[in-house]
Amino acid sequence: MLLEALLASVLLGAGIVALAPNRYAGKLAAAISLVPLVGSLYLWSAFDGVANALLSGGEPAFETTIAWIDLAGYQLQWHVGLDGVSVPLVILTTILTTAAIVSAWTPIDERESQFYALVLLLEAGLLGVFAALDFFLWFVFWEVVLVPMYFLIAIWGGPRRKYAAIKFFVYTNVASLAMFIGFIALVFGLGDSVTTLGLPEITQALQEPGALGEFAGLGPAALKAAAFFAMFAGFAVKVPMVPFHTWLPDAHVEAPTPVSVLLAGVLLKMGTYALLRFNFTMLPDVAKANAEIIAIFAVVSVIYGALLALAQRDLKRIVAYSSISSMGYVLLGLIAYTVHGLGGATFQMVSHGFISGLMFMVVGVIYNQTHTRMVGDMSGLADRMPVTVGIFVAAAFGYMGLPLMSGFAAEVLIFLGAFPSTVLPGAPIFTALAMFGIVIVAGYLLLAMQRTLFGPFSLATDYELGRAPVHDVAPLVVLLACVIALGVAPDLFYGMIQDAVRPILELGGGV
Amino acid sequence: MVGVTHYLVLSAAVFAIGVFGILTRRNALLFLMSVELMLNAANINLVAFSLHYGNLSGQVFALFVMALAAAEVAIGLGIILVLDRNFGGIDVTVPTTMRR
Amino acid sequence: MTGAFDFAPAIALLPLAAFAVALFGGNYLPKRGALAGITALVGSLVLSIWALVTVAGGETYDADLYTFVAGQDTLSLHLGILIDPLSALMLVIVSLIALLVFVFSLGYMNDEDETGLPRYYAELSLFSFSMLAFVFADNLLMAFMFFELVGLCSYLLIGFWFREAGPSSAAKKAFLVTRFGDYFFLVGTVGIFATFGTGMFAGSESFPHMAEQALAGEHSVRTFLGLGEQAWFTVLGLLVLGGVIGKSAQFPLHTWLPDAMEGPTPVSALIHAATMVAAGVYLVARMYGFYLLSPTALGVIALVGGFTALFAASMALVKQELKQVLAYSTISQYGYMMLALGGGGYVAAVFHLTTHAIFKALLFLGAGSVIIAMHHNENMWDMGGLKDKMPVTYYAFLSGSLALAGIFPFAGFWSKDEVLYETLIHGFGGSPLLLAGYAMGLLAVAFTGFYTFRMVFLTFHGEPRTADAEDPHGVRWNVKLPLAVLGILAAVAGVINLAPVEKVTGIHLTFLHDWLDMAPDSFGTAVHHYTGDHGLMHEFAGYTAAHPLGETGTVLVGAAISLGLALAGAGLAYRLYAVPSPTEHTDKLGSLKTLLMNNYYQDEYQVWLARDVTLPLSRAADTFDQSVIDGVVNATSSVSLFAGERVRRIQTGLVTHYATLITLSLVALLVVFGYLGGWF
Repeated sequence: MLLEALLASVLLGAGIVALAPNRYAGKLAAAISLVPLVGSLYLWSAFDGVANALLSGGEPAFETTIAWIDLAGYQLQWHVGLDGVSVPLVILTTILTTAAIVSAWTPIDERESQFYALVLLLEAGLLGVFAALDFFLWFVFWEVVLVPMYFLIAIWGGPRRKYAAIKFFVYTNVASLAMFIGFIALVFGLGDSVTTLGLPEITQALQEPGALGEFAGLGPAALKAAAFFAMFAGFAVKVPMVPFHTWLPDAHVEAPTPVSVLLAGVLLKMGTYALLRFNFTMLPDVAKANAEIIAIFAVVSVIYGALLALAQRDLKRIVAYSSISSMGYVLLGLIAYTVHGLGGATFQMVSHGFISGLMFMVVGVIYNQTHTRMVGDMSGLADRMPVTVGIFVAAAFGYMGLPLMSGFAAEVLIFLGAFPSTVLPGAPIFTALAMFGIVIVAGYLLLAMQRTLFGPFSLATDYELGRAPVHDVAPLVVLLACVIALGVAPDLFYGMIQDAVRPILELGGGV
Repeated sequence: MVGVTHYLVLSAAVFAIGVFGILTRRNALLFLMSVELMLNAANINLVAFSLHYGNLSGQVFALFVMALAAAEVAIGLGIILVLDRNFGGIDVTVPTTMRR
Repeated sequence: MTGAFDFAPAIALLPLAAFAVALFGGNYLPKRGALAGITALVGSLVLSIWALVTVAGGETYDADLYTFVAGQDTLSLHLGILIDPLSALMLVIVSLIALLVFVFSLGYMNDEDETGLPRYYAELSLFSFSMLAFVFADNLLMAFMFFELVGLCSYLLIGFWFREAGPSSAAKKAFLVTRFGDYFFLVGTVGIFATFGTGMFAGSESFPHMAEQALAGEHSVRTFLGLGEQAWFTVLGLLVLGGVIGKSAQFPLHTWLPDAMEGPTPVSALIHAATMVAAGVYLVARMYGFYLLSPTALGVIALVGGFTALFAASMALVKQELKQVLAYSTISQYGYMMLALGGGGYVAAVFHLTTHAIFKALLFLGAGSVIIAMHHNENMWDMGGLKDKMPVTYYAFLSGSLALAGIFPFAGFWSKDEVLYETLIHGFGGSPLLLAGYAMGLLAVAFTGFYTFRMVFLTFHGEPRTADAEDPHGVRWNVKLPLAVLGILAAVAGVINLAPVEKVTGIHLTFLHDWLDMAPDSFGTAVHHYTGDHGLMHEFAGYTAAHPLGETGTVLVGAAISLGLALAGAGLAYRLYAVPSPTEHTDKLGSLKTLLMNNYYQDEYQVWLARDVTLPLSRAADTFDQSVIDGVVNATSSVSLFAGERVRRIQTGLVTHYATLITLSLVALLVVFGYLGGWF
């Protein structure tokens, strides 16, 4: 019942914060968000899950199954549980939420209680996505996430917030539709061999030869392929993957900093998490048959995203585009189908969550002081804000994959996993091409740092520049500590991740 | 012998008068009356069939429709009053605010 | 029984602790954190020497200490320590020079009242940590990790004076150019792990050993891209070489090093002369057993080295700033080491690495002393006549210069001569490519003699040419002590390997050779394993030695030629510049001088690549993204908006119209149902 308690505490907290007076809402929300944070750390320490939750032999930890609704011959269940892939993401969510709430104290100065309530609601949705093991339940959480995010961008965002929020909402919702159709077609194709919408049951049924029948005039093979690509397109928008990425920079630029932190840090991981859970675990044979196409998507995302970041002048846009680039690595790791490939991809989700969250937050702290994010509008900030700039430099090097920070471990694991892949023809070439991203990322971050942080001090906006308040800097320090801890000891998470992804490699899948 | 056909013809005629009124008039009060005519045309149908089949539920429904019509008149008159107050008349072509 | 090796991790961890102390407590400490660094490095030096002594006693150490990533049914990544003669020697060099640089910094930074000193000492300590850990790394991935970390420290320290535009730009360039090289290094590392399943340097499970067995047909490994084993190993070796070329500032990735002189001079001495730049060469030496399996890779190393030696020396001829001359000289000297490695002179390369670390650190610190005296003016044309005013600096600098120019009997003479000798004999032994490298190296000797003494004469001799040179700022013991220590070492360090004397007199004097040969056979890193009679060099690289004039004759003639050329260069410099009021004789070179002053336009084409190719490309991508990709997205949404706009027109707002529509629809429905129901 631990997971339920966790979710209930967040939802209850959201209700309390919504009713609290604006003055105290921020501090109250931060205090309440400590409950799931501590709870998730306890989940990590008490984690006793075995293997992959979706596959036979897997025993998710903290599992609860309760029959809920009978619908059209299927039983919908309240089915939650965690395995080695989801525990790190749950911890990522709780830590980033607390950090984001604290970092919101400075920039958010109107309708605070609603803001913090929506952030907690968002957290509940995210936790639900990572914990749910029943498709219906999972889909409810998946869609619940969109609602608070829409309002957070549309109410507290920048000048073009309406455009950005609607674009985000419609784009991802249409994508959900594609994904939903693909998945449901699979379920109908399975016919009588499944009686619930439980993800483990469906996954295991798909592994049975001959279980998949015809649906909508498509034979089993065609149905699998169609479902795979429908789901792939749906999740690719969320990841986001070139060419489905254009909602991301708009959303990031318009969203207030704490929302950007959660958007880049956790929301994008929903896409890669779902890719891993659905496409790459349920339909490995289709993935393997189309390995080159997927790898091309990955490499293009890495290189093209990095090139776009190079062209930007807005610090937030730079980080936004570089997220596209980093998510490309995840895709490359997934398609490799090796332990380090899948494991490294999962580790990269967590690592990038911390690093991009940190990066957005540090840009936000600078924005709070300077009221600009344009590279050309400021220079020499190191002179006035030494601590913030020091963290900026550390975060940027983390992004570049500096050893002993988590980004390096994640990227090296992906490369080590992808290079010898037997699934992907020409794997060394694809890996080497994608790795060139590490040069471009250094290029745009160093260029941006040189122009904004160093050189003689100047500022185009008329603001007195002071040191950032302690509560702005504290979450930065916490996130930086997480990045370094994971970089020095990846095995904090990597052991359980490997345990959870290894069964995926044992799936037959007929290729 | 007056059969069900006669009632149906009457009902159709009354209904057609109602439709005609709605399509050609611009006065909101006449609209309301036309709607009443159409409702009553339906009532005639219900009662006629009820008699024809010897089943009372049709007549019960007619009673319901009358109550409904009464309620509708109450709300309709309220709307017409507001129309008159806000637009200085009860011509239904004048208020087009909801268009945009 | 605890021994030196139990404390080996502390060699690197002590400076790491100093980093934390200086970073967080530097502002509250006397000397702003310098003492923490000095204490830590004294500890590191003592432990390194202890390790060296233990190795001399015949013990070595190779252990995985920390499991970075424990793979489940797949490869694991470890951090471990390998202490063999090579790494023990390098540990002592690094910790000694780092310690001296810390002491020197007291004079260069603290006495000059610089701000940001805790940051400076923290970064310097972090560098020492990373460099020492790189040196004793026992596998390629760990080496790569610390290779990157020293790059970070280099970036931070070059950009130390961040309030000015120059240093931050130079720092960016340094990191970016070396990152470009590191990209290839990382691909190579990943490839080596994928091929061999390990990145260990030494032992029977090491990748050089496995590669050797694979080529000998005793064992097979998985190769990629359809290449044979030999070709694939060459590809891997060349990929790793990319990182070496970047870090050791070899052509064409050398352009960052002269710019790196924007950093504080002690940093230049430690990082950009003696240690970090050596990391590349050290790496090749560390995995020499792998390179010896590929004659192609060796040939590339030799040619790159020889060409860089000559190319950089030619640019040093015309530079006007003290540190610029030294920077190009550093590039050139690392070229010699690469030439030696490519030419089969493993011992020669390590020897030159050792002596160069000493004399180049000395020259940079001497330059630092001069720069303090000159109130941070580095232009040699503003100096002159400093000889009498700063005698300690002068004599130390002179000792370093004689060593750099390769004048008998200073350290540089012995090591450079051995580099050239090894290349020559292997060149005659059937590898004519090496003779080209030799010729370039030989010509560079003359250049070296000239630019070194042009620098000495312009700086210290003649009449003072500016007021600052008339009345230089004094320096204290903390500057003089490191200079004196290094000055003496630069004069005498050659005794560790007097190969020519041994060959001529027959007395055993090649101590460095013996030392490096002490590695146990199980490691496969001993000299006889590389270049002995049945070593890899003969078996796989196909190098043989030939002495066209007999062994003694070749030694003597070779030494005489290189010494003669060095003296000729120095003599020319003496004739031209050792006068009271020298003039810029290099003007006579005309357009050639312009070419040299502009560094053969190497910077221009790299800047062009970055600014005029990559940036416009990224802007084009951005335009494409905004107009085409996002355009499609917005067009999709505008279809529904447009359709909605059209359909909306039915909603006139007139009740009558709605009623008409309803009625007509009803009639239409009736007709349709009637038709379908068969009424008509």
